[in-house]
Amino acid sequence: MAVTAASVTAGGRRPGAIGGSPGEGGSRLGGIARAFWTSVRIGWRMEANWTDPLLFFIYSVAKPVSAALILVVMLSIVAGPAAANLRPFVVIGTALWSLVTSGISGLAWSILDDRERYRMLKYIYVSPADFVVVLLGRGVARLGVGAAGTIITIVIGILVLGVPFDLGRIDWPVLVLATLFGLTSVVALALLLAAICLQTRQESWSYPEAFAGAAFLVSGAVFPLTVLPAPVQVLGLVTPLGWWIEAARRAFLPDAPSGIGGAGSYLASINGGAVPSAAECLLALIVTGAVATLAAAVVFRFSVRRAQERGLLDLTTGS
Amino acid sequence: MSAAAPVAPVAPSGPPPLDLVGRSGVGPREASAWSPRQILVTNLRAIRGRAYPRWRGLFREKSWVAFEILLPFLSTSAFVFVYRSLHAPEAYVGFVVLGGVMSAFWINVIWMMANQLWWEKSQGNLELYFAAPMDFMSILFGMALGGMVMSSSRALSILVIATVVFGVSFSVSSWVLVILVFASTLAALYGVGMVLASLFLVWGREAWHLGQMLTEPVYFVAGLNFPVARLGLLGALSVGIIPLATGLDAMRQLVFAGAPFPIGTPAPEIELAILVAMAVLSTALARWMLAVMERRARRDGRLTIRWQ
Repeated sequence: MAVTAASVTAGGRRPGAIGGSPGEGGSRLGGIARAFWTSVRIGWRMEANWTDPLLFFIYSVAKPVSAALILVVMLSIVAGPAAANLRPFVVIGTALWSLVTSGISGLAWSILDDRERYRMLKYIYVSPADFVVVLLGRGVARLGVGAAGTIITIVIGILVLGVPFDLGRIDWPVLVLATLFGLTSVVALALLLAAICLQTRQESWSYPEAFAGAAFLVSGAVFPLTVLPAPVQVLGLVTPLGWWIEAARRAFLPDAPSGIGGAGSYLASINGGAVPSAAECLLALIVTGAVATLAAAVVFRFSVRRAQERGLLDLTTGS
Repeated sequence: MSAAAPVAPVAPSGPPPLDLVGRSGVGPREASAWSPRQILVTNLRAIRGRAYPRWRGLFREKSWVAFEILLPFLSTSAFVFVYRSLHAPEAYVGFVVLGGVMSAFWINVIWMMANQLWWEKSQGNLELYFAAPMDFMSILFGMALGGMVMSSSRALSILVIATVVFGVSFSVSSWVLVILVFASTLAALYGVGMVLASLFLVWGREAWHLGQMLTEPVYFVAGLNFPVARLGLLGALSVGIIPLATGLDAMRQLVFAGAPFPIGTPAPEIELAILVAMAVLSTALARWMLAVMERRARRDGRLTIRWQ
C-alpha cells in the first residue's frame, strides 16, 4: 500500500496530521492523551516483554554504568589521587547523558522499527491517532529505560565512586525545572533525528548514537568546554544539552566546577568571567530549548510531507 | 479446417549446456553431483554476493558520510579532550584515536555480523540462505568481508582526520608485527562475530539488548581509551578472551613504543599468538554452531518465525 499525499482518512483528516481521533467521538485532547498513553504502553512492552525484569534491568543499566567507569579509569590514570575531586563532575555528566542517548534513539528507532522491521509505519500513519503523538509515546518508553540507567549510575557513583550526596543540599526547584526543560529539549532533538531517519534507509540505526556522540563533544558533560576552540564552544552554548547538564549539576553539587563557563572559556569573554548561576543556566536552557523545539517541529513537518510525496513511509530498504 | 499439427520438441544437439559454474543441465541426479571446482566457485560467488551490498552501499547513501565518518570522529574527539583537559601525556591522545579506529570494527561486528542473521530471519531471507546450494559459512564470510571494507573506510577516516587534527605522532617499533597483529585482530573479531551471529539467532529479541551490552561494557573491559593493564586481573582476562582488548593492547605497544603507560600485559608477539588462536578457534566454533543451529532450527521449524 503506498501512502501518498492523496491519502485522507474517513474523517476527512490528512493522515498523520495533528488532531484527535475523529472516528471515536471524544474530545480532541482526550484523543491525543489516549493515543499517547497507548503508544507509551506499546513502546514499553516492545522494549521489555521478552524477558524477566531483572535481566532487562541489567541490560538497561550496563551501558551507562560502563560509560561512567571508562571515564573514571581515564581520570584515575592521569590524575591519580586527585581524580577523586573530578569524579562527581564526570559521573553526573555521564549519568545524565544516558537520558540523551536513549531519548534521541527512542524516536528515531521507533521510525526504523516500524518501517523496516515490523512494516507497520504506514498503518500507524493512516490510523486516527496523531503520528507525532504516537512517536512521542514510543520515545518516552525508551526514555524511561534511559532514566533507569541514569539513576543507577548516580547511585553507583554515590555508593562506590565517592560522589558526595546530601539530600538537604540539593536545589530541588532547579533540579525539577532543569529536568523538565532538559527532557523537553532531548525529545525535540529526538524528533529532529526521527525526521532525518524518515528520509534515510536502514543503516540509519547508528545515526542517533552518532549524533548523540557528536553532541557529547560540545555539551560539557565530562570535560569543561574551555579546552575546545572558541567556535566549537559557541556550538555548545547554542544547544540546550550543555545548559541542562550544567543546571542539573549545579543543583546536585553547587560547588562543582563549571562545564561551560569559568576562567578561559568563551562564555567568560562575554559575561566577564563569571560562572553562570543556576538561574542563568535555566534561562539559557529554556531559550535554546524553545529554539530547538521549534526547529524540530518545522523539520519534522517538512520531512513527513516529503516522505508522503515520495512514498517513503512504506519503503523498506533491507540490506 | 485442418487441425494444426503438434510441434515436436527439438532434440538438443551436441553436449548439454553448462552454466557459469559448470553444472550439467541433464537432470537432477547429474546436477547434484558437483565437482570440487563447482562447489568452490559457487561458494566464492556467494561470498562475493553477500559482500557486495555492503561495499556498494558505501556509495549509495550520502548521509552515511556525515553519520558514519564525521560524527563518530567527533565522538572520539570527546575522549581526546577529556585527556587534554587533564593535561595527559600526548601518547594518551593516540590511545584514544587508536581506540576510535578499532571501535569501528567492533561496532560492525556487533551490529552487522552478530545481529545480522537474526535480522535476516526477521526480513525473511534466512530460509533462502539455507535453501541455496552453498555452504552457510560463505554467507558469514561474505558478511565479514563486506563489513571489513565498510568499517575500514570509517576507521581510516577517523585515523587520518584525528591524526591530522590532533597531531598524533606514532613511533612504530615493527611494521611487520603491526600488520600481522592488525590482520589477526580483524580475523579474530569477525570470527567472534560469526559465533555471535549463531547465538543471537537462537536468542532472538534478546540479541538487540545483548548488542547494547557488548558495546560500552566491552569498551570498558577492553581498555578502548586507556591501557588495559590498568584494570589488573580484569584486564588480563580481557586480553585472554576479547580480541578487541588483545589487538588494541598489542598495537598500542607497537605503535607507541616508549610511551609512558602502564605495562603488565604480554609482549606483542605473545598477543599475536593469542589472536591467531582466537581467530582459528572462533571460526571453527562458528562452523560447529552453525551446523547445530541449522539442525535445531530445521527440527523446531523456527527458521521462518519472525520477530521472536
